[in-house]
Amino acid sequence: MTVRALVIDDSRAMRRIVSGTLEGFGYETRQAGHGQEALDVLHGGWVPELCTIDWNMPVMDGLQFVNAVRANPAWRPVTLMMVTSESEHGQIVRALAAGAHEYVIKPFTADAIRDKLALLGLLPQEVSL
Amino acid sequence: MTDVSDAGLRRRVTDLPPAVAELIDEATVQEIAEQAWLALVGEDEVLVPLPAPLPAETLSSWVEIVGPWTGWVALTCGRDTALDLTRALLGEHAPEEVEQEDVHDALGELANVVGGNVKAVLPGPSVLGLPEVGTTPPSGREADSVRVALLWRGSPLTVRVQSVLAERENEVSL
Repeated sequence: MTVRALVIDDSRAMRRIVSGTLEGFGYETRQAGHGQEALDVLHGGWVPELCTIDWNMPVMDGLQFVNAVRANPAWRPVTLMMVTSESEHGQIVRALAAGAHEYVIKPFTADAIRDKLALLGLLPQEVSL
Repeated sequence: MTDVSDAGLRRRVTDLPPAVAELIDEATVQEIAEQAWLALVGEDEVLVPLPAPLPAETLSSWVEIVGPWTGWVALTCGRDTALDLTRALLGEHAPEEVEQEDVHDALGELANVVGGNVKAVLPGPSVLGLPEVGTTPPSGREADSVRVALLWRGSPLTVRVQSVLAERENEVSL
């Protein structure tokens, strides 16, 4: 079964890197440049198992996106993973309190992402073996 | 008897924000940059702490930090180095023709990652701005900065943590 991920980051380079990492794990990915664009994807009916979310973005930031997703019961199954350079303890607590499941601090390695996905039970079986 | 004016002066001086060099040192800035390079640019991409003159045509990216410490964190390198950095950062995902937008985006993201980790070392809570890119970062006094000069693949680049201390300068002049 293919696992889907929506990669949300205002940096095109970072979207490519995160998408490439996830595709290497067998994911099908789509990308969004900010929170509102990501919400538009979800409203359009493409609801992934995972969203990776940058914090600082124009239009709608990552925390606003997390709050918007958590306000919609239909999107409750979506796993939300912050992938951001915001590494202050208070910010991590805010994101987790808002409903994010995991928090990865940039810079990250592919192994760090894989470990988090394994913890979340979102690593396709052939990769986790 | 208390000298009120003197007490006031002492209070103002005491309340001055600490100099950035008291909050973060060059070794920490260098370590943050090295971690960013290893994770984003490539596992074998080392930064060598050797000062060398920057070329005439440079590109900078910077992020603002606003909080108990306010200032910005900037990366500066030659334009050719910025292009090479973009190709290295994108790796196999790099388009055949790297456009200026790609270069600004990649250099901005490097500043964002370095700036975010610098912010975590400085007093908080604070807010990290979105990355900006230009030929030179905003102006600032060299004395109110921590600057690290590095070589990447033999090309020079600098990482600068710059305090913005308008109030400090005003109060000292009283």
